[in-house]
Amino acid sequence: MNLAWKEMKKNKGRFLILGSIVFLVSFLTFIISGLANGLSQDNAALIKDLPQGQFYMDEDADQTYNLSKIDRSIQNEILSNEKNAVAFSIQMGFLNEKDNKQQSVAFTTATESTLFANVKQGEVILDSSLKDKGIKVGDALTNNQFNGKFIVKGFVEQKKYSHAPVAYINKEDYQEIYRVDEMQLIFVPNGDSSKEYAGLHSFSNREFLQTIPSYNAEQMSLNMIVWFLIVISGMLFAIFFYMMNVQKIGLYGILKAIGLKTNKLFKMIWIQMAIITVVSLILSVGLSQAFNIISPKEMPFTLTITTTIQLSIVFLIIGFIGATISGMQIKKVEPLQAIQKGEA
Amino acid sequence: MTLLKIDGVRKTFTNGEIEEEILKGINLSLKEGEVTAMVGASGSGKSTLLTIAAGLQPTSDGQVIFEGKNMSIMSSEEVRKVRASKFGFVFQFAYLVPFLTVEEQLQLMLDVSETKLKKEEQKNEVNRILQLVGMDHRKMAYPPSLSGGEKQRVAIARAIIHKPKVLFADEPTASLDSKKSEEVMLLIRDLTKTLNITTLMVTHDEEMLVYTDRIIKMSDGIILQDVI
Repeated sequence: MNLAWKEMKKNKGRFLILGSIVFLVSFLTFIISGLANGLSQDNAALIKDLPQGQFYMDEDADQTYNLSKIDRSIQNEILSNEKNAVAFSIQMGFLNEKDNKQQSVAFTTATESTLFANVKQGEVILDSSLKDKGIKVGDALTNNQFNGKFIVKGFVEQKKYSHAPVAYINKEDYQEIYRVDEMQLIFVPNGDSSKEYAGLHSFSNREFLQTIPSYNAEQMSLNMIVWFLIVISGMLFAIFFYMMNVQKIGLYGILKAIGLKTNKLFKMIWIQMAIITVVSLILSVGLSQAFNIISPKEMPFTLTITTTIQLSIVFLIIGFIGATISGMQIKKVEPLQAIQKGEA
Repeated sequence: MTLLKIDGVRKTFTNGEIEEEILKGINLSLKEGEVTAMVGASGSGKSTLLTIAAGLQPTSDGQVIFEGKNMSIMSSEEVRKVRASKFGFVFQFAYLVPFLTVEEQLQLMLDVSETKLKKEEQKNEVNRILQLVGMDHRKMAYPPSLSGGEKQRVAIARAIIHKPKVLFADEPTASLDSKKSEEVMLLIRDLTKTLNITTLMVTHDEEMLVYTDRIIKMSDGIILQDVI
């Protein structure tokens, strides 16, 4: 006999309230997770889209990439020894439109590579978010530190850095704006992490992301909220079933006295937890994915199916743990105590 | 023929440093189909004896032998199986499952006792027992809508649906008025006689003793009187 389902059918109100809370908590978790991912993309899509490999930075820069200046001879050595290695630099700056409207951008330049857009002198390739702001191919843009003009040659999708659209420019133009000859970083795709170069500090992709100002703090606080919400949902189950169990201690005692197995009572709680969680998750996944589609383009929101599936599994595991902890009471219930206590 | 034998059973409870002997070497044999009532003042040990005989708590010394098997040395799972399949229970309160209908309460007991009946046979058996206890007209009702007497009738039906060998009843009429108490006692006696179920009952109500075959008077952990 399916005791779990029968109880839920009879006490719809109670279970509906719990389901609604789980739905709201999981929905909020998905939304915050989407924002965390979105902000992460907005902050470092340029780096995150690179394949796994090794980053190298000047040791004297103290893990601050924009203070890094890689010696030309070491750069040449790495680029000639490592296949597909690329040296690149990123600096925040501005581009002026015809009507003097300023657009904040992350100027990026790199040695020849398939990983970064290659542009000729006087040309610029921009992130597509600037297209939405009215900039078109062929437009001439200027910069206060640059004597010439940048002609827009095209747009790339989803290339952001430090919440600013990336502007790929030629190495010579970059050197003119920032008055530096050296590149800041070298990236070796599929690079060997044990390989070291004198005067350079190596980082994995994940480690390098942590050196980006604000990235770590931003992600840490958002992820902390996500995990808090997950833990709260587990506690919700534990508290809800605890309250339910307290009310049913007498009944459980009698059921045990007449011979019902304790694991049948556990199964009852687990099935109820699973039904509530799965239904709540289906609703919140559906709604958050719909939000993913309809959310405004300017809003940094990215929620992948993989992330929702991973979070849903975590919700189920946490719910299971919460329900099981509260179910420990059932194990302790002595039929005799329940009988002696009186009315259930 | 002896079905349940209580042999030299002692029960001691320790409260801090104080050790109290509730049962002081009880010997008792229950015959098949016999309705036995235990009476005595509060603290005389009758409820403790009932729960020990029913396998709900262990003895401190002595043994409980059911159908020739010593329950005192069985594992808790073995005792549970005996309780589920061979014993029936009626308590002071009905303890019905609030979210199950009257019919489902009985089906649950058939599930618990692992009675091997097909679905249709189960249904027929449930209907038959509900007719016996006069509750067939309320089989779709939920416990909150039943009166105290009706609840106790359902509890009795649940206790006998799986054809137990022994029915343990702990103050089954204590929560009922005198008219309902008589009805319930008559029902217990008639059903146990019809189905040849041995009954061991604890009661405070001396008026109910007319429905029993045997009266055991207990006092201070010993059997004072055994009247057949």
